[in-house]
Amino acid sequence: MLRLWNAISCLLLASAAAASPAYSLSFENTAIVRTVDLGGSLVHVTTTFAVKALKEAASVYTITLPEDEIFNTSWLEVKVKGTHQPLTVTYNGAPVDSKSHNLDVSLEKPLAAGANINLVLETVQTHATWPWPQKAAQDEDQSLKYETSLFVLSPYSTSVQRTKLKSSSPRIISYTTPENVEAFTQENPVTKSGATVTYGPYNNVPSSTNQEFLQEHQQHVVLHYNYDYPVLEILKLKRAAEISHWGANLNIQDDIVLHNAGPELKGQFSRLQHQTQSFYGRGAPHVLPLFTVHLPPGIRNTYYIDQIGNVSTSHLRVAPSVARGLKNTQSSVMELKPRYPIMGGWNYTYTLGWDAPLGDSGSYDSKTGKYIVSVPVMTEVPGAVVNDAEISIILPEGATDVDYVAPFTALSNEISTHVTYLDTVGRPMVTFKYKNLTNKHAKPIYVSYRVPVFAHLRKPLAVSTVLLTLFTFAMVVRRVDLTIHKTPSKKM
Amino acid sequence: MSTAYPLPTNISPSTVANTASLLRIVAFGLISAAAIASRLFAVINFESIIHEFDPWFNYRATRVLAAKGFYEFWNWFDPTAWYPLGRVVGGTVYPGLMATSGVIYNFLHYFNLPVDIRNICVLLAPGFSALTAWATYMFTAEMKDPSAGLLAAAFIGIVPGYISRSVAGSYDNEAIAIFLLMFTFYLWIKALKVGSALYGALAAVFYFYMVAAWGGYAFITNMIPVHALVLLLMGRFSGRLYVAYCSWYVIGTLSSMQVPFVGFQPVRTSEHMGALGVFGLLQIVAFASLVRSHVSSKQFQNLLAISVVTMGVLGAGAFVVMTYKGWIAPWTGRFYSLWDTGYAKKYIPIIASVSEHQPTAWPSFFMDLQLLIFLFPAGVVMCFRELRDEHVFVIIYAVVASYFAGVMVRLMLTLTPVVCVSAAVALSTLLDTYVEAREPDAPEERTEANGSNADGKKAKKAGGAVGSQAGTAAAAAASSTISDLVSATRSSAGSPRQKGIWGADARLVIILNAIGMLVFFVFHCTWVTSNAYSSPSVVLASTNPDGSQHIIDDYREAYYWLRMNTPQDAVVMSWWDYGYQIAGMADRVTLVDNNTWNNTHIATVGKAMSSPEEVAYPILRKHDVDYVLVIFGGLLGYSGDDINKFLWMVRIAQGVWPDEIQEPNYFTPQGEYRVDDRASETMRTSLMYKMSYYRFSELYGGGNAVDRVRNQQIPKVGPTLDYLEEAFTTENWIVRIYKVRKEDALGRDLKTANAFAQGKKRKRGKPVSRRRAIV
Repeated sequence: MLRLWNAISCLLLASAAAASPAYSLSFENTAIVRTVDLGGSLVHVTTTFAVKALKEAASVYTITLPEDEIFNTSWLEVKVKGTHQPLTVTYNGAPVDSKSHNLDVSLEKPLAAGANINLVLETVQTHATWPWPQKAAQDEDQSLKYETSLFVLSPYSTSVQRTKLKSSSPRIISYTTPENVEAFTQENPVTKSGATVTYGPYNNVPSSTNQEFLQEHQQHVVLHYNYDYPVLEILKLKRAAEISHWGANLNIQDDIVLHNAGPELKGQFSRLQHQTQSFYGRGAPHVLPLFTVHLPPGIRNTYYIDQIGNVSTSHLRVAPSVARGLKNTQSSVMELKPRYPIMGGWNYTYTLGWDAPLGDSGSYDSKTGKYIVSVPVMTEVPGAVVNDAEISIILPEGATDVDYVAPFTALSNEISTHVTYLDTVGRPMVTFKYKNLTNKHAKPIYVSYRVPVFAHLRKPLAVSTVLLTLFTFAMVVRRVDLTIHKTPSKKM
Repeated sequence: MSTAYPLPTNISPSTVANTASLLRIVAFGLISAAAIASRLFAVINFESIIHEFDPWFNYRATRVLAAKGFYEFWNWFDPTAWYPLGRVVGGTVYPGLMATSGVIYNFLHYFNLPVDIRNICVLLAPGFSALTAWATYMFTAEMKDPSAGLLAAAFIGIVPGYISRSVAGSYDNEAIAIFLLMFTFYLWIKALKVGSALYGALAAVFYFYMVAAWGGYAFITNMIPVHALVLLLMGRFSGRLYVAYCSWYVIGTLSSMQVPFVGFQPVRTSEHMGALGVFGLLQIVAFASLVRSHVSSKQFQNLLAISVVTMGVLGAGAFVVMTYKGWIAPWTGRFYSLWDTGYAKKYIPIIASVSEHQPTAWPSFFMDLQLLIFLFPAGVVMCFRELRDEHVFVIIYAVVASYFAGVMVRLMLTLTPVVCVSAAVALSTLLDTYVEAREPDAPEERTEANGSNADGKKAKKAGGAVGSQAGTAAAAAASSTISDLVSATRSSAGSPRQKGIWGADARLVIILNAIGMLVFFVFHCTWVTSNAYSSPSVVLASTNPDGSQHIIDDYREAYYWLRMNTPQDAVVMSWWDYGYQIAGMADRVTLVDNNTWNNTHIATVGKAMSSPEEVAYPILRKHDVDYVLVIFGGLLGYSGDDINKFLWMVRIAQGVWPDEIQEPNYFTPQGEYRVDDRASETMRTSLMYKMSYYRFSELYGGGNAVDRVRNQQIPKVGPTLDYLEEAFTTENWIVRIYKVRKEDALGRDLKTANAFAQGKKRKRGKPVSRRRAIV
């Protein structure tokens, strides 16, 4: 699966320049519908391609994304409509001067000429919106801007395409009216109804990846809309998962740097105003007073602390532990209230950790003699993007044959040694680094390893050896007389 | 011989001794556990957090020490404190506490035990309280016997007077200092008893540790010489005293000078001169006794006596001259305030403004010591009965510490150990007398009753023949219950007793009574500890309507906001109480903090707080102040707020600028301290008043805004601010932070600029007068 375009595409740009656009017209699009769900830091885009094969045994469909979009896209998936299995997508470079990138989708089985298929491209864009105006006072609304290209690019000709921009609130302040689109539509090029702005339908759009089309017809549209929830960014997420076989415990600790990326607070914070607003239930949309995260069921010893101690303002409802293999419907709900309401532009750091029964997420495979433990990449903070993530999984001391399967490729991963609690040789630690994680990325990493019997006994042996040495030493010291000469009695 | 209750007869003495030693170990383990456990109220009720004010600095310094190593710590210059002066931390702290935690931290981490440095700091005081209990046990065992030692250990383990300074989280110098104090005293007594240079040197080593740990080391520096001097005057000079004192003084003084903060003080300040004088006197006396042992002439001895007296007088005279000339520093203000309780209030308001420097109120003796305060005199009297050298020490200690405890609240801490020791001696004597199984012999045998405990006296006499060490051991053993049991079982060996108790009923009444008192003592200690001494004061507790605990966490809310949302180099001005907390929790630059070394700087802050905005603004700007932090309890009824401390700010500022700040101006003409509409003009225009009540009345809508600390109604039209703007106020309004505005870009003064921005017209008066001037 593909992800992390901003990293990979940079690497590939050079090689891609050489690639020539050799798309034989094996497909045509009967319809393209793009739906953009406007959010704060995350924008979900669903594009449906109704595809008709023109040649026999056409099996590779090319999707083209414009350059500015591909840098924002942090998650991408292509499915055949109505199925759950994502299709294989390979990056196929950027044609020269086209400012767009091609993705080849391999269909499961080649299409016969004239056959139809509906492909659904789902992407999540991060950092695609920006607050406008850039500063907002405590009693003002929050409005964001989102920019995208008018036409969905495709190397194939398209009979009809439209783009729907959906905002969560009907208060859309402004939107661009495209010009110079008479070639594709006779009607109004853009319509607004409620919270949705629709561009199109545009008929008979030719292959749009060529220079000519891009210069003549492609244009950018900007939507300025009100957004009623705070725009959250997790600047840094550090997750450490420590597996303990002696305690049958999986400890997960998240160190989080949270930032409100909405409009910056204009002037200063007034508690009076904040209290008045929340008293009347009219809290400002760009303030984050509290938020909720869902933790695994059956957790214990949950702690919510920051650099200066326990944050006492939180509530936790723990769902009972669910045996592995059963369908898990419940999760523990943690209501986190930061020390202070997080206004636009403010930062807050915290640490959230818990212990979970190891049996809920790990198992022993007696055939291979290996343990398999799953550790989720992240716990979703609603509506937030994780800019930088570092996930370390600390295995038991003496674990060998460490192997892992990540749900998506990491920027970098390494195996190092971590020394803690009375370790003698240290524990293997697998570290993954990611950028721009979204709610779609909250999937488990599977780690498998072998622990020899001796490794289990290493710690008690080490501790008892040290203690025995101490006792022996004390015994010897008690029995050795170092007095140089004995005084029979002291003078008074 | 008759016994009051049956005793087993078939137990060998070695079994009894072994069982007793096992029981002692078990009892001591339980005492340690109780001492540690009773200090954990704060951790259980709240969390593992550093308490109050000074501990925050110690914690911060310890973090530096743990992270960067000892040499970095030694050379640490902290530019963020006392802005813009900075503070040389390495040379102005007693590093013992931090070094102790640093050593523990490194030790644990060497064995791969990743204990957080904060937890080490929080739990250091409870840990050391167990050691204090042990040191007190050893000390008291030297005084009487191990059973009295166990009682003393139990007392010091749970007595509130000591707990008040050593609950978990109270990470202050006193946390380890009391252990060091008791252990140094124990070693001194031991050295004196044995006449051993080894124990003297050990005492010196622990004295050095004490010097490195707490400014109160001067107490030891003077207690030991006074003890030596008194022994000398009592005619108890001996080779043991000479060896013990000289080895302690020489090694102790030299090593104490290695602590940078102490430096040459041991030879240059008056507080240390007593020890030096006694050292010199001992040399003279030793020399004299040496000469006397060789010369028998009566005249020569007279001559010697005269010369000794002359040398003493000359030495004292030289001391006076050197003080007068300034070679020896005169007494410091804090020292004077020990003799004259009104001194500080008159001359150094900054010392008087600290609540723990106030004279002790009588109820607090009972609160801190409960039953021990009644047993204490009895124990001291017991010491007079035998009056060995170590008993003299306890008597002197008791007298001196009682005086000091009456002068200053915080010195209750130094009184507590001797109270525990004396009370344990008294109570243990009582129990010994009444638990003793043997009944006195027939009345006709009581012919030469010359002491209430003839047995003990005899044993002491017997011991005296053997040697002091063995003698004490024998005396201790002979008067202890255990050995009485032993001797009672071998009934034939028992010596005839002249005095004692008949029957079991009398014993039972007294013993049950004593046990009852002890039980009440335990309840009292637990109650005081949990209610009075276990609040971190950083977080406050209240109860929800449903009975659950509600934490009021405004301090940390504000500090964390500062830490997260202001520039790293922002300068925060606040009253000095909060300096260490801001540095520790908010990690920002402060003007003044709890290390009150620069009175003028503090007075500057006091002046800024008590002046009108226009006067304060240049001061703020000159000190690069970005934020001003005030504590305001009016909404919640939190009485420890800045308005209540305000008069101290005024007084301290008045000490430096008597022309500009005058305390009477802050009172109403009737002499009342008010904040409502009858408050004086000076009060209402002061920066502190404005910052505290800014927009406070608006919170009540149109209703009556009441300050719940002072129970006064705040005027409906609140103060306005031109040079500052509100930047952050916590949930319960306890901490309010104001941002200092930058100078107006157009060069107007901020008042005019503000009025312009709000669209107000200029006051009519002004243009008219100008026109008139033109005409």
